[in-house]
Amino acid sequence: MQDGQIADARALGSHQLLASEPLLVLAGISKEFPGVKALSGVSFDLRRGEVHAVCGENGAGKSTLMKIISGIYAANDGRMTYKGLERRFSSPLEAEAAGIAIIHQELNLVPHLSVAENIYLAREPRRGFLVDRKSLKADAKRCLDRLGVAIDPDRLVRGLSVAQCQMVEIAKALSLEAEVLIMDEPTSSLTEQETQLLFAVIRDLKAAGVGIVYISHRLDEMAEIVDRVTILRDGRHVSTGDFAATSIDEIVARMVGRSLDEKFPERTSRPSDEVILSVRGLARKGVFSDVSFDLRRGEILGFAGLMGAGRTEVARAIFGAETPDTGQIILEGRELAISSPRDAIAAGIAYLSEDRKGQGLALKMPVDANLTLANMEAVSNRFGLIDFARQDEVARRYVDLLNVRTPSIRQPVRLLSGGNQQKIIIGKWLFRESRLLFFDEPTRGIDVGAKFAIYRIMDELAAQGIGVILISSELPEILGMTDRVAVFHQGRITGVLETAGTDQEEIMRYASGYGRAGS
Amino acid sequence: MSVTTNPGGKSGRLSDRQKDVIQKFAALGSLFALVAIFSLTSNAFFTVGNGMTVALQVTSIALLGIGATCVIITGGIDLSVGSVLALAGVVAALCVKELGLPVWGGMLIGILTGSACGLVNGILVTRMRLPPFIATLGMMLIARGVALQITGARAISGLGESFGVLGNGALFRVVRIGEDGFPTVVFPGIPYPVILMIAIALAVSFMLNRSVLGRHIYAVGSNVDAARLSGVDVARTVNFTYVLSGTLAGLTGCVLMSRLVTAQPNEGVMYELDAIASAVIGGTSLIGGVGSISGTAIGAFVIGILRNGLNMNGVSAFTQQIIIGLVILLTVWIDQLRNRR
Repeated sequence: MQDGQIADARALGSHQLLASEPLLVLAGISKEFPGVKALSGVSFDLRRGEVHAVCGENGAGKSTLMKIISGIYAANDGRMTYKGLERRFSSPLEAEAAGIAIIHQELNLVPHLSVAENIYLAREPRRGFLVDRKSLKADAKRCLDRLGVAIDPDRLVRGLSVAQCQMVEIAKALSLEAEVLIMDEPTSSLTEQETQLLFAVIRDLKAAGVGIVYISHRLDEMAEIVDRVTILRDGRHVSTGDFAATSIDEIVARMVGRSLDEKFPERTSRPSDEVILSVRGLARKGVFSDVSFDLRRGEILGFAGLMGAGRTEVARAIFGAETPDTGQIILEGRELAISSPRDAIAAGIAYLSEDRKGQGLALKMPVDANLTLANMEAVSNRFGLIDFARQDEVARRYVDLLNVRTPSIRQPVRLLSGGNQQKIIIGKWLFRESRLLFFDEPTRGIDVGAKFAIYRIMDELAAQGIGVILISSELPEILGMTDRVAVFHQGRITGVLETAGTDQEEIMRYASGYGRAGS
Repeated sequence: MSVTTNPGGKSGRLSDRQKDVIQKFAALGSLFALVAIFSLTSNAFFTVGNGMTVALQVTSIALLGIGATCVIITGGIDLSVGSVLALAGVVAALCVKELGLPVWGGMLIGILTGSACGLVNGILVTRMRLPPFIATLGMMLIARGVALQITGARAISGLGESFGVLGNGALFRVVRIGEDGFPTVVFPGIPYPVILMIAIALAVSFMLNRSVLGRHIYAVGSNVDAARLSGVDVARTVNFTYVLSGTLAGLTGCVLMSRLVTAQPNEGVMYELDAIASAVIGGTSLIGGVGSISGTAIGAFVIGILRNGLNMNGVSAFTQQIIIGLVILLTVWIDQLRNRR
């Protein structure tokens, strides 16, 4: 029955549907994860032979929507009509069989298999029990030729460039005879030249009637290929319209357009003229380059930018978790030579990872052990034995100071809520008496009350003369908490703005590589 | 769902704390159950003499298990201890017999040989970034090969009575000479290896629970990235655990060879698996971050008593292996249940 339906749909699709009739229509799609409403009542449609861009900030729901279309997630509510029939895919395989292919941001190829084997993975042409290697190669070659790319189907994927992998993924989509192709940030790791090659392929696919959903943060390059654009914000549909009739400024304004309804504490610290941290010409090949900025005493400096712009990498380089190729780091007048987090910690630098559970906490260990982990010398004697009375006292002090909600200081931290876990990490660095703290996405996944408490701690630290750098993808947070903002775009600081004199639109323009053009 | 009344509705799920207690008592409880069963099935089992025999047999598993526990807490594994103990024992014997060193000197060199093997394991894992399984598998083959090579695959005997003191001596041994002139053993004494095992178990347990080093060992196993980003010297911490494991293997080798008063290059084959099994039965998680010496001691006794009790009941060696295998599977399965939430 299933097969019959698909065959019917294909027949309908190729011969009877009018070109203007949408290929894919989603209406009122909602998706909830425990505690989060990722999408609420989103509508979307895709026509044959068009490139339809989906724009939104990080966390706006773009990826969730794509995963629903391609059968990875099931929607809680809403209807999807594909080629005139209502469909609900229960797995990516089902969606693929119906002609919907997705190319993920992180490419899904098997490095140790050949190009041809990757294109036909799990669908290998067979002769009895054996793979029919001859037709495997011939079929793969035909797909690659159609794209006009010269990749040997026998080469191992391991040796290919990212752009070539991208092409192999597209060839795989073609081999599925996909009629809907979803591309998630396809150009994020491509050079200008490779991007042009990809765009040429996209134009060919368009001409062949394939509908393409195109997700990207790179507004600058969309004008070349995008026909229509849909904007999502906080899991809701904002607008859909012709790309040509919408200006970049309008798109940005709609993406960030929410009002500043989150509450921030009043800032008590005032920036002085004294520079605590000075970074000059910091670079790491292929990651970031020529990063220079100053942090003044009493100031909170923001790092804004899109995902992958290099903000976290710069912080990790200053913290010694990654080694920069060149550059100077001067903390309180002293040039530092940092080659490991141990050096950075000894110099008074602390880094609160964006990945709390993965890099911030020893989850199986209790509250007291986590609070003291970065400063064991202070709770042990000269024989390296832990002074438990002192450790208890320290743990209680920071649990009280930061108002951590835990039944006991012996509670394993994995049982605490996200906000309380974040407070434990902050406490760990406060006990270390750090001179400079990087907060990397400190409020991600934390409830409003705990957010406010963390903002207040940041303000108090700045007021005490401790350097605070806030890395955040939440623009309201950047605007609400910082004194100045360094905006990153593709590994460079494109501008350092006074927070009081800027707005979300201007920051987004710098973050998209548009710089001053719009202002 | 509504068949039974369930006031509060909470009894269906146990808290983590309760689960931890159950796990601890599951191992300890099964230990007592084993003792009870074997006491009923064999008259000779529950006697002071047999108790000491079991304790003596358990020492090698426990000493190796203590090292294995520390390595496994960091998220590693040490497969080389069985071979390293053979190499260490053989080196000690050769030093005494060929070089004419005093027994304590030979044994010290034997133990240090174990430490050196552990250090190499540690360097392979931390500096050369080999997976611990591979690094220690290589060491397992190399150490066994060297032991066979330097002895020509022959046992070294004729080591003199003093070589056997460590393995066969006992403290508080009470022997009364009867009226007929024959000695009667009133109390067999506490064998030196048992005293050694208890002292080392206490020391390592103290190190794990009370020292900064111990805290770092747990932190590395719980989350290596978080530990590194908190300033823990991960390489040094991991290195230490392999050196400890190697040293204890060296000590075990000396004890075993001393007990036989003969150095066997083929001694200790597959002992690493007993060591790992005792740690796992005792609740040490192979993922790292969790484990205790008390648990490992219980695990070592479970294995030792099973072997001893089954022997006394005339169960064949083959059946014993099957039973011990099943016990390992059962305890790890219980552990999985505990961790599934």
